[in-house]
Amino acid sequence: MLLTTLVFLPLFMAGVLLLVPNEKVLKPMALGFALVEFVLSLALFLRFDPGLAGLQLVERSAWIRSAGIGYFLGIDGISLWLVLLTTFLTPITILGAWSAITKKVKAFLIAMLVLETTMLGTFVAMDAILFYTFFEASLLPMYFIIGIWGGERRIYATLKFFIYTMVGSLFMLLGIIALMFYAQDQLGYMSASLVDFYKLQIPFVAGEFLSTQTLLFFAFSLAFAIKVPVFPFHTWLPDAHVEAPTPGSVILAGVMLKMGTYGLLRFSIPMFPEAASYFAWIFLLIGVVGIIYGALVAMVQPDIKKLVAYSSVSHMGYVVLGLFAFNAYGISGGLYQMLNHGISTGALFLLVGMIYERTHSREIARYGGLASAAPIFTILFMIITLSSIAVPMTNGFVGEFFILLGTFMSAKGYALFAVTGVVLGAAYMLWMVKRVFFGEKGELVKKYESHGLDVNWREILVMAPLVVLVFWMGLFPNQFLRWSKASIDHLVENRLTYELPVVGVPSNPSSYVVQRAASASKAGE
Amino acid sequence: MTINLSVIDFILISPAVALFLASLLPLSLKAFRPNRETQPTTVILWALVGLVASGGMAIANFGVSQTAFEKALVFDGLSSWSSILIVVSTAFGLLLAKESLATNTKQFSELVFLILNAAAGMMLVAWSNDLIMLFIGIEVMSLCLYLAVALSLEQRLAKEAAFKYFVLGSFASAIFLYGVAFIFGTSGNTFLLELSEVGSELISTNRLFLFGVVMVVVGLAFKVSIFPFHDWTPDVYQGSATPVTAFMAAGVKVAVFVSFLRVMATQILNGERAEDLIFALEWLTVLTMLAGNIAAILQSSVKRMLAYSSVAHSGYVLMGVLAAGVGEQGELGASGVLYYVLGYAVMTLGSFGVLSMFEKNEGTDLEVTDLKGLASRYPIAALCLSLLLLSLAGIPPTVGFFGKFFLFSAALKQGFFWVAVWGVLSSAISVYYYLRPIVYMYMAEGEPLQAPAGRQLSKIVVTVCAILVVVVGLISNPVYDAIRKSVAGMF
Repeated sequence: MLLTTLVFLPLFMAGVLLLVPNEKVLKPMALGFALVEFVLSLALFLRFDPGLAGLQLVERSAWIRSAGIGYFLGIDGISLWLVLLTTFLTPITILGAWSAITKKVKAFLIAMLVLETTMLGTFVAMDAILFYTFFEASLLPMYFIIGIWGGERRIYATLKFFIYTMVGSLFMLLGIIALMFYAQDQLGYMSASLVDFYKLQIPFVAGEFLSTQTLLFFAFSLAFAIKVPVFPFHTWLPDAHVEAPTPGSVILAGVMLKMGTYGLLRFSIPMFPEAASYFAWIFLLIGVVGIIYGALVAMVQPDIKKLVAYSSVSHMGYVVLGLFAFNAYGISGGLYQMLNHGISTGALFLLVGMIYERTHSREIARYGGLASAAPIFTILFMIITLSSIAVPMTNGFVGEFFILLGTFMSAKGYALFAVTGVVLGAAYMLWMVKRVFFGEKGELVKKYESHGLDVNWREILVMAPLVVLVFWMGLFPNQFLRWSKASIDHLVENRLTYELPVVGVPSNPSSYVVQRAASASKAGE
Repeated sequence: MTINLSVIDFILISPAVALFLASLLPLSLKAFRPNRETQPTTVILWALVGLVASGGMAIANFGVSQTAFEKALVFDGLSSWSSILIVVSTAFGLLLAKESLATNTKQFSELVFLILNAAAGMMLVAWSNDLIMLFIGIEVMSLCLYLAVALSLEQRLAKEAAFKYFVLGSFASAIFLYGVAFIFGTSGNTFLLELSEVGSELISTNRLFLFGVVMVVVGLAFKVSIFPFHDWTPDVYQGSATPVTAFMAAGVKVAVFVSFLRVMATQILNGERAEDLIFALEWLTVLTMLAGNIAAILQSSVKRMLAYSSVAHSGYVLMGVLAAGVGEQGELGASGVLYYVLGYAVMTLGSFGVLSMFEKNEGTDLEVTDLKGLASRYPIAALCLSLLLLSLAGIPPTVGFFGKFFLFSAALKQGFFWVAVWGVLSSAISVYYYLRPIVYMYMAEGEPLQAPAGRQLSKIVVTVCAILVVVVGLISNPVYDAIRKSVAGMF
């Protein structure tokens, strides 16, 4: 019951918030709820066995019996950290939004908690339709967060965000349906469970685009590539980020982009191994292009937030590169980079939001000399910048190093180009830091200096856990990676014949599947 | 020829008889008391008594599987489901009508009479086994609807709509009847159940039979506004009083699609030379989805937008009808169709219900921009409309999503791969216009419009629809299983 509780507790709490009439207690209550949720998610460490590669803490019951769709939750080393990232970032975001969100506070907090439920659901759902439900449903709260609390062009941005993502995922829906029929053909019962999908043998003809496995691979990958977003599909991201309110950007960059890379790792790579190997070059290529292109575009942005948004494109390019290196270094680096990106980019968005609240501008050219006006803010910003440009001892270094190592081992050429991204990343971040924090005092700094530009205690409290994690993850990566090692090794070693064993449940298919098979054979007669 | 009528036959058609009897009461009350208008509340109470009786009978008939009246009507799972859906749509439509300015007039008893009889006609359509009976059902349903459309207090648009609907509808009926004549001439009978034994063979050997089938399909396609027979839909939907539109959109679709399924169950699409027909139907499906969705994007009136969206939804359902007609496992398509029209009826009644709640006077359409800021003044109505629109767009976990899921599954199962891809693309287009009202309700600034006071019944109807949309979506299993069980044996 742990996973169900974890997934639906925020939804329940959102319901409770709906009934609270007093505006003043809303924020503390929501923060408290999110913290309770985080503490509860720490219980995963007690129950999760890092030595096992299979699916753990499984909960399974039938949902739509006749189509083999189940309510099937489970967690393994791949999803464990993403769940924790979600529960960790949500309270931070709520605390960070304390003064940024002033209108319709109740609706905002409810949207945040509903969003948490859908994100957690996406990461632990092991039934494709259930996954799809959470994946799509997560668009709605974010759609409202951008559309109601966003900037001037918020409606354009939020529609673009919604429709882009929706188009991709509809093809995934067709793919899921096709796989369900494959399950019916090959396993004898219709099923939407991922565990069953992994068992399927999907015909693959190399070099032929219209072969089944290739089509399915692209149907799924398109949905995730848009969500990540990788290079040619990234145009919704800068719009969404620039218009989104700070908490929206934090969650969008911190967690929602990971749904895309998680999907690649959970669906595209293990389910369609031949197609994934055959077309890996496409993903390596768009990964590298994304890294370099994102960095170059970030360099010329006049707006800090847009710069951070494009840096996301660059960083997510690394993740895609790592995943498609198909070795333990690449994939664990990719996974690690997902967490790093969640922490460092989330933190950057929070910091940008803090300064924006004070000066109401994000234009780099109007800043300058902020360091002397806001020393603590500058220190925090510097630490996060270092993490973002992957300086050793910070988390970013570990992730990028593993990814580049993994790529060197399997695809040297791509790694050579990817390395330039490290330099470019340092260039655009440090150049921005130089223009904002050092040099002569800019007009905004002069104007608002007397109002106090430095962070207050609440904001330090928001940033503290992130800063701690930057160093913790940078210095002791093994403490984090050891929880995922078994799952990743299992994936790498058995990539072409991947199957996900279910831990703690007898190996025969669960009862409802048996019933379904019986009724199917009856219908067949 | 002797005619055998048993008591059971009369029990089986009792849902329609109950509606007919109930429809007479308010009208005769008025006839016996000339110049004295019966209270709308009294009228609606009588109508509801009839509807409850009819619904009760329909539920009691559940599980029956037999023909009645010399095989003119057939009673099976499809019949029971459609009776219940029609009763519910009628009840919701009437409750909305009671509070709408365009219908709550001195001719209210006449309107109720027409709506109840239209519902009885719909039931006949859904039950018919005999093509002639189907024609009579279509005529009863359509004639009542023409008048109901014309009865709206609004002067210009409603009359235009009624006239347009009447002229085009008559043409379609004539074409349908023409087709029936050809079918009778070539096969010697008009019973669908018997046609199913010879249909697949006749369609390959006899061109005239094929022609007849095509004409019948065209007639039915007109009623559910399949491209290119959809052009009347936006005008008629816009011109009618909103509650009548809601009733019409939901009820007609349920009835006609069920009879469409019955036509498909005759195996005509499994004939050797049926490829051309299948090919044509595939294109009609694709074009209907695209035409509806693309035109809907361009609308500024919410009612016209929903009208075009109903065209698009007909396209989705036609995909299921096609899947039901082809191949061995038609029941997958058939149950998808039934589940979808169930969901569609609820979504349409609810969303037109919201419009009806906010209409100030007859004849003024709500523009999408009129909805701005609605969420701050009427949070519950805005939430309900949002849920209904999201369901129309097919966002999980609403009933609209699972409906599409079942339809797409059926289409993929039968190998209509490209049709499903076009379906997916066009539903991606639809997301844009379904989100627009939500954008205005929640995100645009502005002075929200003021709903007329009262209208408690409409609020209840709308809320019930919104709750159903989510609940039937989340627990789609029992509903879908029941539907599937009831259509099993048919295909």
